[in-house]
Amino acid sequence: MMQKTSIAVAVAAAATLGLAVGGCTTPDAGKPAVAKPAAEAKPAKADYASMSPQALAEYLVFESNSYDLKQPTQEGTTGRERLVQDETMKLCSEAARTGKDLDAKTADRIREIAQASIKYPEGGIKLGDWKVGRELAWSGFGFRTAHNPDKHEPGRAPGANCYNCHQLAEDRTGGTLGPSLTGYGKLRGNSPEVLKYTYDVIYNAHVYFTCTSMPRIGANGVQSQQQIADVMAYLFDPASPVNK
Amino acid sequence: MSKRTLCALPIAMAVAMLAGPSAAQAPENVLQSLIDKHQSQYLTQSPQNLMMMPDNPAYDLIEDGDKLFRQARGPKNASLEKCDFGKGPGMVAGAYVEMPRYFADTGKVMDLESRLVHCMKTLQGFTDEDAAVKTRHGSSSDMMKLQTYIASQSNGMAWNPSTNHPMEKAMRNAGEVLFFRRSGTMDFNCATCHTQDGKRIRASVLPNLRAPHEWTKAISWPAQRVSHDNVRSSQHRVLECVWQMRYPNIKPGSDASIALISYWTDAARGQPAILPDLKR
Repeated sequence: MMQKTSIAVAVAAAATLGLAVGGCTTPDAGKPAVAKPAAEAKPAKADYASMSPQALAEYLVFESNSYDLKQPTQEGTTGRERLVQDETMKLCSEAARTGKDLDAKTADRIREIAQASIKYPEGGIKLGDWKVGRELAWSGFGFRTAHNPDKHEPGRAPGANCYNCHQLAEDRTGGTLGPSLTGYGKLRGNSPEVLKYTYDVIYNAHVYFTCTSMPRIGANGVQSQQQIADVMAYLFDPASPVNK
Repeated sequence: MSKRTLCALPIAMAVAMLAGPSAAQAPENVLQSLIDKHQSQYLTQSPQNLMMMPDNPAYDLIEDGDKLFRQARGPKNASLEKCDFGKGPGMVAGAYVEMPRYFADTGKVMDLESRLVHCMKTLQGFTDEDAAVKTRHGSSSDMMKLQTYIASQSNGMAWNPSTNHPMEKAMRNAGEVLFFRRSGTMDFNCATCHTQDGKRIRASVLPNLRAPHEWTKAISWPAQRVSHDNVRSSQHRVLECVWQMRYPNIKPGSDASIALISYWTDAARGQPAILPDLKR
């Protein structure tokens, strides 16, 4: 018994020495150092090849240590919350990936969610200051984190990002991912119906354009009620460069 | 000519044809060929950048990277000449256009950057804390010099990432799901900006993933980023997009980033790579 033990110890010692000399103790490749007891054993690494693309994608987002899920956000949450999808995001992502048209039931559901999300201002929809709206429309600042977080502070509020995707006044270059809004107020007038329609599109465009690329500027908290009023003034005020 | 050489000729020609335009073509000529063959607002948006390509600052990085590659460095005083990028130790010609790919020795699908880091650690003995490995960005970094050199050895060759291994298929398919995955403050996914022809963000024309002749330029990194005054990598581009999309910080060499790069390389399959490129 004693002899067997000391031989076993000697073999184990020699093996460890052999491993160390052979350079096999590299701390690499995510393999667990110690096997867990069977009862609580988890796979050392998820078997990527056996997962569906959707399951693997979710794993990569939340469990593969790819993103900084604890990174603080400007709205007081963490990186994780920025990556969690709500129902609208899930439905629209799937539609985009498959390229299939939304069926009527799904489209209705998205519109229903969108309508329920819209909060109207106390005292009704009013136009603010077009000069403030002009700067908000131009600004792409706000809510970025990653390697270079935007610092929201008095005098540097998040912008509405409009010019990234839209052409507006002709004194500045806008994008073409969205329709041109040049002459917006001039072309439409400012009846209560047009004001409400415009407010709805800014707040949550899915109510009219299911699975639009347009961000949910109101519903996602990109802009406050006052900021939306100022952007709307930029669109509607006859004095605004948009309508000149 | 011997009979053997004559018999080898058709094969060599077939291989050359598969590889697209001659690998000896300068990057600006690869781009010009694409412009001549296709109507694309994306490819033609900057005649100024096209004119600057013969003087691309990235060429200095190629020279430095070539030297670094062969230099004995690190605690193990070894060069990178035994690093296997998928085509055998030290074989860099055509290696980049076949990446990301699965590596049996790590059991992972790896992009150029993560494979390079792996070799710098295992062959040369560098650790995660050494500047050589830690500093991923900037034209003065070892990382960018080495990447720019290695990638340049695939200039003009057709993107051809392997999808034979189940892990390669899995990562490419997960990358596709990620491409279309909306989230964050602005509901952005990659598709928001990269699935239509000729669209602009402000004054910049966007490349369309569904137009392979555009997408090949879009993914041709390392490239001199004129507005940054630095040569940038694929990982840097992923990071910049993630930042704009209001997602949290993505880690270099992370599996999510490699899945995305697997998908986006597959989307350019068959098109000639422009390496190094020059972009706004």
